[in-house]
Amino acid sequence: MINPFEYFATSVGAEIDFVRAEKRRGKGVVGIYCEFTPRDLILAAGAYPICLCGSSRKTIPPAETVLPVNLCPLIKSSLGYILTNGCPFFSMADLIVAETTCDGKKKVWELIRDRKPQHILELTQKVLETEAWEHWLMEVRKLKIRLEELYQKTISDDDLRSAIAAMNRERALLRDVMEYGAEPRPVISGLELGRLRFRVSGMPEHHRMLLELKDALEERKRKGVFAAAENAPRVLVTGCPMSEGTLKVVEIIEEAGGIVVVQETCSGIKPLDPVSEEGDPLTAIAEKHFRIPCSCMTPNTGRLELISKLAKQFNADAVVDLVWQACHTYNVESFQVGEFVRKELDLPYLKVETDYSPGDKEQIMVRIQTLLEMTR
Amino acid sequence: MRCGVDIGARSVEVLLHDGTRTVDVIIGDSLRDPRGNAEAMFRQILERNGLTKEDLASIVATGYGRNYFGHATRTCSEIICHARGVFHLHPDTVTIIDIGGQDSKIIRLENGKPVDFSMNDRCAAGTGRFIEMAGDILGIPLEKMGEATRDGDDTVEISTMCAVFAESEIIGLLQGGIPRERILRGVFRSVAARTLGMAGGAGVAAPLVFTGGVARNMGVVRAVEAETGLRVVVPPEPRITGALGAALID
Repeated sequence: MINPFEYFATSVGAEIDFVRAEKRRGKGVVGIYCEFTPRDLILAAGAYPICLCGSSRKTIPPAETVLPVNLCPLIKSSLGYILTNGCPFFSMADLIVAETTCDGKKKVWELIRDRKPQHILELTQKVLETEAWEHWLMEVRKLKIRLEELYQKTISDDDLRSAIAAMNRERALLRDVMEYGAEPRPVISGLELGRLRFRVSGMPEHHRMLLELKDALEERKRKGVFAAAENAPRVLVTGCPMSEGTLKVVEIIEEAGGIVVVQETCSGIKPLDPVSEEGDPLTAIAEKHFRIPCSCMTPNTGRLELISKLAKQFNADAVVDLVWQACHTYNVESFQVGEFVRKELDLPYLKVETDYSPGDKEQIMVRIQTLLEMTR
Repeated sequence: MRCGVDIGARSVEVLLHDGTRTVDVIIGDSLRDPRGNAEAMFRQILERNGLTKEDLASIVATGYGRNYFGHATRTCSEIICHARGVFHLHPDTVTIIDIGGQDSKIIRLENGKPVDFSMNDRCAAGTGRFIEMAGDILGIPLEKMGEATRDGDDTVEISTMCAVFAESEIIGLLQGGIPRERILRGVFRSVAARTLGMAGGAGVAAPLVFTGGVARNMGVVRAVEAETGLRVVVPPEPRITGALGAALID
C-alpha cells in the first residue's frame, strides 16, 4: 500500500490516468489557472476542474521566444508548457477558464486563443464596492451559461448544491491537514504540505488519501515523530503561490532549521474557505471566490487581516513574503505587508524576490538564516 | 580563546579573541580557492600564537563559504556576525552599511540586535566588484581612488544600475571628454545611492557605521556622507567586523 505522502508527491501520474478514463466515460475536462475560478461550478456541470501546469523552469526558455523576459516565471512556465505540448491536461481540456488576474496573464490568453476554446472571467478589482460584486456575480453567471452550452445541459440548483458539498469536503480535508501546522510541535513539514496540493478536484482517490494522511499524522503524533526540532522558528509564508518544483523558499527555510507552519498563499490555506450551503447556491459560489484576498485587488486589506489571523492561529515567529520576479502586484504590496508585520504583529519580516531557477539559493539562505536567528 | 572565520566572496578574515580583546587577525584573498586559503590562514594563526585547535572554545564560520569550513563548531549568517562585531566596537550603532566584494547590505539595530536588514539581489551593481570594474576602465587602482576623488565635488550621474551596462556608460562618458575623477565620483555616488535605497521606507539613521572592504575607500565614504547628510563612522579595520562578530557569538 502506497503511503499517502508518497501518493501526493507523485500523484500527477494517477491524475492523468484518472482524467483520461473519465473523459472516455463522457465526463468533461476544464483547465483552470487561478483560485478565482469556481471549481464548484465546473463540477456541477459534470466536468473536472484541473489546475494546468506552470511550475517548471524547463518550459521558461521556449516561452521566452514569444514573451518578454521580464515577466513572472509562473506565466512564462505556463505558456511554455502549452507551446511545447508538455501539459497533458491542457491537451485533454474541453475548455480553458482563464481570468484577468494581471496584465501578463490577460495578454497571454490572447496568444493561446487558437489552441483551445477559452472563457475569461473578468475580475473586478475595487472589492469594497457593490458594483464590483454585482459585476463579478454576472461573470460567474456567464460562466455557468458557457458551461451549459458546452456540455448541453442545464445546471440546476441541486447540481450546484451537491458540487458545493463535494468541494467543501475537499477544501475541509485540505484545511484539516494544513491545520496540523498549528500544533505546538508540528508533525508535518511545510515541504510535505506544499507537495500536497493536487491538480484534479473531485477525484475520489484524493479524498481517500487525504483521510489516510490524517491517520498517518495522528500516528506520528502518537509516536512523537516531529517535523522539526523543538523550538524551531515557526514561519508563515505569504505572497505568490508555489507548488512541486517551485518550493525552493520553503526548502531553504526548513534546511536552515525553521518550519513553515502555514502558507498564506493560493497554494496554501488562502483559498480554502467553504462556500456557504445556505441561500442561492450560485451567489454563494460567487461570494466565496470574490473574498479571496489577492494582491490584484485594491485595496487588499483582507490579506493583512488574514496574515494577522493566521500568525496568531499558527503561532508564527516570522513572516517570509515570496514574490516571483515581475509579479508587480505582490511586489508592490509587500511594502505594506512588511510594515504591517513589523509594526502591528511585531514579527521579523523578510521579502524574497526570486524566480524558478536555483542560482540564488545561497543568497536566499543567508537572509533566511538571519531572519531565523532574529527570532531567537 | 575564540576564533571567528569570515569567508567572503573576495577576502577571508581569521580572527582570535580572548574575551576582552582581539589577539590576532589575518586577512587574505578568497579568490579561486576560498576553502584552501581559509584552511591555511586558520593553521597560520594557530601556529603563530602557539595554539592548537583544542585550545579554542569556539570556532564560528560566517560569510558565503561558512558551510564549507570543516573546523567550525557552528556557522552563523554574516548579517548577525557583522551586527555583533559592530555592536562590540560601537555599542550605540543604529545603522550598519556593509559593502563587500559581491554584496552590499544595510542592517538596522535596536539595542545591539538586528531588527531589520536588506541585501542586494543577484547583481554586482553597488558592490566592490562594480567599483573595481570602474577602476579598471578609468585606469585608477583601488588604493588611489580616495586620493583621486578628494579634491572637488563635481560629479556625473551614472544612470545604469547594471554593472555590465554601466561599463558602456562609463566608456561613453570618457569619450565625451568627462574627466575620469569626476566619473569616479559619479560611480561612488551611484554605489552609495543604490545601497541606501535598500533601506526602504525606514531610511538610515545615525550613528551610522560603514564596514566591509569598500569602507576603506574614502571616496565612497564621502559619497555616503553626501547622500545621507550624516557623519559616517568607519572602524579602524572595516574588513574584520564579520570575523570579530563570529568570534564573539555565543
